[in-house]
Amino acid sequence: MNSLNVVDDAIVQEITIKASAQRIFEALTNPAELLKWWASEGKFRTTEVQLDLRPGGKWMMRVEGNCGTGTSSTVRGEYLRIEPPRLLSFTWIRDEENSPETLVCWELEEDLGSTTVRVTHSGLTSEALRIRNSGWPLIQDLLQSYLEQTA
Amino acid sequence: MVSKRNRQTEAVFKAISDPTRREILSILRGRQQTVGQIAENFRMSRPAVSKHLRLLQSAGLVATRRRGTASLCSLDAKPLRVVNEWVKDYQAFWNDSLQGLRKYMEDEQ
Repeated sequence: MNSLNVVDDAIVQEITIKASAQRIFEALTNPAELLKWWASEGKFRTTEVQLDLRPGGKWMMRVEGNCGTGTSSTVRGEYLRIEPPRLLSFTWIRDEENSPETLVCWELEEDLGSTTVRVTHSGLTSEALRIRNSGWPLIQDLLQSYLEQTA
Repeated sequence: MVSKRNRQTEAVFKAISDPTRREILSILRGRQQTVGQIAENFRMSRPAVSKHLRLLQSAGLVATRRRGTASLCSLDAKPLRVVNEWVKDYQAFWNDSLQGLRKYMEDEQ
């Protein structure tokens, strides 16, 4: 089942899949497979993937459609940790001016033929991660007050 | 993906990325202050504080109106909603991505 949390400035989501961690790790790192699964009908699809699977290696993907926009966008970054079949992390930078560097981490945990897949996308609310510690609670607080007033 | 609100989002993120500007937002919380009153909280020059205020204004987070010779500043937290919306867009994206991965994996069996 799927769960959803925002921890600090990170999105953490989990799903359990009936497949081995090894098999899922392949699907996360093989460009041909990424093109097949990284999509959502009527919302977006991945049209191009290039990757150099080694620490420090670059990756890019082009996504078409609609996760809010209806235009295509390019995301790129660099692999940080590649530890099959358990962990894969990379930087995630939208290919737009001044887009901050964010971080994506896939974690796989296999148990009895199923694998819990957790994806964490962090650094989202900060430019160069500056806000994270001191500023984020205030911003959350101000926003919370505002939303409660207008509810 | 996630770029419709880009310009506004970037203005807001830029505005809140600086500790002085966040401090100003905090000072204005629940009360109006003149530029002079705000500047008293900082060691920097008044023009420097004014510069931060202008950035907050352009992001729509601070509204000012004249009161006599002084400018009275107040907080408008409304633009902070883009922070939430941006995160929500990404939540939807990752949720959809995980569903796509599961469908692909389980269909091949």
